[in-house]
Amino acid sequence: MAATATLPVTRRVDAGLPAHLATHKSGGRDRWSAPLADLPDDPTAAVREALNEVLDPEIPISLMELGLVYAVAWENGVARVELTYTATACPCMEFIREDVTDRLEREPWIDRVEMVDVWSPPWTTDRITAEGRAKLRHLGVSA
Amino acid sequence: MSDTTLSVEAMDDATRSGLKRLILTLADSKRLMGLRYSDWLVGAPSIEAGIAVSSMAQDEWGHARLLYAMLKDLNVDPQEVEHTRPAEEYASVDVLDAPFADWAAVVAGMVLVDGAITVALDAFCRGIFDPACSRIPKMLSEEEFHRSLGVAWYKRLAGSGSEEAKDLLRRATEATLPVLLRWLSTPDEVGSKLAAMGLTDSGETQVTAFQDGIRALVATAGVDVDAVEVATDPWDERRGRGPGHPEEEAVERARGDRNRMLFVE
Repeated sequence: MAATATLPVTRRVDAGLPAHLATHKSGGRDRWSAPLADLPDDPTAAVREALNEVLDPEIPISLMELGLVYAVAWENGVARVELTYTATACPCMEFIREDVTDRLEREPWIDRVEMVDVWSPPWTTDRITAEGRAKLRHLGVSA
Repeated sequence: MSDTTLSVEAMDDATRSGLKRLILTLADSKRLMGLRYSDWLVGAPSIEAGIAVSSMAQDEWGHARLLYAMLKDLNVDPQEVEHTRPAEEYASVDVLDAPFADWAAVVAGMVLVDGAITVALDAFCRGIFDPACSRIPKMLSEEEFHRSLGVAWYKRLAGSGSEEAKDLLRRATEATLPVLLRWLSTPDEVGSKLAAMGLTDSGETQVTAFQDGIRALVATAGVDVDAVEVATDPWDERRGRGPGHPEEEAVERARGDRNRMLFVE
């Protein structure tokens, strides 16, 4: 009988994308951190950190890195996020809203998420952060 | 953008009504513009041109959505406006009542029809209605690409050496301009009032801006924009356009009638 070869196990979920950047889950759900157990000292900063984990549905960099989040606030359990989109007819608007809401509502100190669409100033690629640009370059995308 | 803004609460009934008409005129025009572009996703002269009009159709529908949403500020339900009005109620600019006949008409549409709507949007953006001031700049930035593509194609057809191409372009331009010049001039009390209130520019200012923007370009097709006679057919003051309306089939598509029962939120 011939010896049985052990085949290498390949993770198929992220096949084809760089492992350290890739995700196929909506909004990067497979990389979201566990929720904080208690109310953080600076809830608004914590909301920003959480949003930095929410990825754009089309490019695996975060909404914060893309410069889509214009303002964040937290008061009495309500997180308010002012968000813009890359285009007026962005087909991913609903995905993005759902991902933002789902990520923030994981936190026990956030009871409700209030999303506000804003269009001023208009988004341009100038709003992408340096870190976002570096990640895009790594993916072969110029911005 | 103006330094001061006018709240809806501070407007009299006539101003509110005029503002609603202006928003509907722009939103319906955007919606029809997108529909007319979408007819050319297949059948444009090249795959690249078809993809370009696909993107432009997407932009136009995004603009229409943002414009319809402004009606909420006037206590008008945008959903009802978008999905229940018959074709006879549409306030879109007259030249979009029928599909573009050929690619030369599409190109003229990019530069002239889309261009005239952009002039009207720009004037509204610089007025004192805050939602317009904040939402329209993004639309204008997206429109720059439409103009860029339209101008490139216009020059290509006009300078191709093909008399047939140039003739089609000239005819499409000559058929479109009289209607657009009248539409931008907004020759009624509503137009005068909106301009006097600072909500938009006067019709005369808009017409001049439009003419200045296209004069040299349309000359390449043999058209003198300053010699064009403005349309003189009756003016429907209620809708801010001429008589007539888009064909019912187009409006059914725009409203999404066929699959409306599948709309789930």
